[in-house]
Amino acid sequence: MQERARGGPVDPAEAVGEPEWDDRLRLVFTCAHPALPLEARVALTLRTVGGLSTAEVARAFFVSESTMGQRIVRAKAKIAHAGIPYRVPPADALPERLDGVLAVLYLIHNEGYAATSGADLQRPDLAAEAIRLGRLLVGLLPEPEARGLLALMLLQHARSAARVDAAGDLVPLEEQDRTRWDAAEIVEGLGSLAAPESGRGPYRVQAEIQAVHARAASAGETDWHAILARYDELPSSPFVALNRAIALGMAERPEAGLAALARLAASGALEGYHLLPAARADLSRRAGRLTDAAESYRAALELAPTEPERRYLQRRLGELGG
Amino acid sequence: MEYLLLYAEGIDAQPYDPAEDNIAEWVADVQTRGISEYGERLRPGQDATSVRVRNTRVLVTEGPFTEAREWVGGFDIVDCRDLDEAIDVASRHPAARFGAVEVRPFMTWPDAVPGQRVVPADLPGRAAKGVRYLMLVCVDPTGEKDGPDDPNAWVHEMDGRGVRLFGEVLRPPADATLVRSRGGKVLVTDGPFAEAKEWIAGLDLLEVSGLDEAIEVAAAHPMARAGLMVLSPLWPFDVADDHVARAEREAPERGIRTEPKVSR
Repeated sequence: MQERARGGPVDPAEAVGEPEWDDRLRLVFTCAHPALPLEARVALTLRTVGGLSTAEVARAFFVSESTMGQRIVRAKAKIAHAGIPYRVPPADALPERLDGVLAVLYLIHNEGYAATSGADLQRPDLAAEAIRLGRLLVGLLPEPEARGLLALMLLQHARSAARVDAAGDLVPLEEQDRTRWDAAEIVEGLGSLAAPESGRGPYRVQAEIQAVHARAASAGETDWHAILARYDELPSSPFVALNRAIALGMAERPEAGLAALARLAASGALEGYHLLPAARADLSRRAGRLTDAAESYRAALELAPTEPERRYLQRRLGELGG
Repeated sequence: MEYLLLYAEGIDAQPYDPAEDNIAEWVADVQTRGISEYGERLRPGQDATSVRVRNTRVLVTEGPFTEAREWVGGFDIVDCRDLDEAIDVASRHPAARFGAVEVRPFMTWPDAVPGQRVVPADLPGRAAKGVRYLMLVCVDPTGEKDGPDDPNAWVHEMDGRGVRLFGEVLRPPADATLVRSRGGKVLVTDGPFAEAKEWIAGLDLLEVSGLDEAIEVAAAHPMARAGLMVLSPLWPFDVADDHVARAEREAPERGIRTEPKVSR
């Protein structure tokens, strides 16, 4: 065991079963090693840490079992041949490498979160699987960002039943039936955030935003000022700027949000991204600028990539009465 | 495990700034760790020569195989505990900031002599008896498929002539790792530095009388038929040099071919 701890490459499949906790943690870092292609990291983590069968992983990513099998075999071959170590990284490399592990879990979660159509009942619930892996990771390594990611995943997943209506259409947060949110997941998610404030990273801050929504008894009672303050803490990006503008419009007046959106549009950073005109439409509607709102809904409709999103925008456009 | 570190130039990075070149520190670090086997800077890509044999004719062309801007500016061979140590060492090299470092494990053979390294231990101290070229053995899909590809006879002959100082086969590009350093952060990704149809499969260090002998030696290798060879002259420099002065002195050479122009 000591020999393996010193970094000799190992076939991760050998470690499947009931490994001791430190073996399991080493496996997490080996499977999410940045020298592996991202898709291989995801597949290997689900297969060897999550214990899913190759067939299940293949179904989750809509590829054939043989394709997935090859992907996993190639990844294991690279672990052996490139000398990827089987160990927890030393303290100085840990934060960076933990980021990589968390990114893999969040990717698995989002893959499940974005595809809630339920068309394939045999598809494993990837979001739930990511949460299971997140709990495992937090149990092994209770770092603030690992807990933050677990909270973020739980608080998002808690809303999954309310996110889609009977017709399969997306229900925006504002219109969701909050009694259908999963109370147990919310409690667990908030609990994961209860720990110390030191080392608040982006996952934790995003989880805190979700926590504000989770605590609001109704959409109208949402503490948008708290959300706005959290967006100011996140590393700046066009997507953060977009969400911050929406929060600003909700916290103060829609016009303030519209002005921020105009600045973002002028930067050209989100050119062609449908949620930019969709946000403009929503805040214009709230400001009573119905002509502007209709124009922005039409712009968003042109760009929206999926049918449920187009149906949602079409319905909003119709409700303007224009 | 032994790794080849290939220093790729021309990758989206800050332009080379000799004032920030800390190569002496890096060399001292790998020597202290006892992991350094051999390393050299290479002359610019324009001084490289590609050699192919097709239908028994030796085809010699200027420059490396890739038409992309990026090419190999130097290399090191290191013997590390595992990939993470190789990544750590690669990330500290100035080339990680001014370009990218491709980390390639060497092939390990079942019949290898335990403890034997790619580079003979006495090579770094040995005085050069001729002109040294790095010969990159490359796979080229346009190569001839039916020829022999076992280089053992070639290795035996060239070792006997004293023109081959060392050489080894690399693990394929699927086992490569690319390391960059940007804004103080280390970026590690999967894959080689350039996505080209040709790829580097191995290397030999030649010591010959000049380019003509290097071409003759390269053309005799079976992979010259099945793939292609790229000959890069070494470009030694003093790591303890004042790099600002050196860069100024060398600036004209970066744009002027110093190898004789080849045409056959």
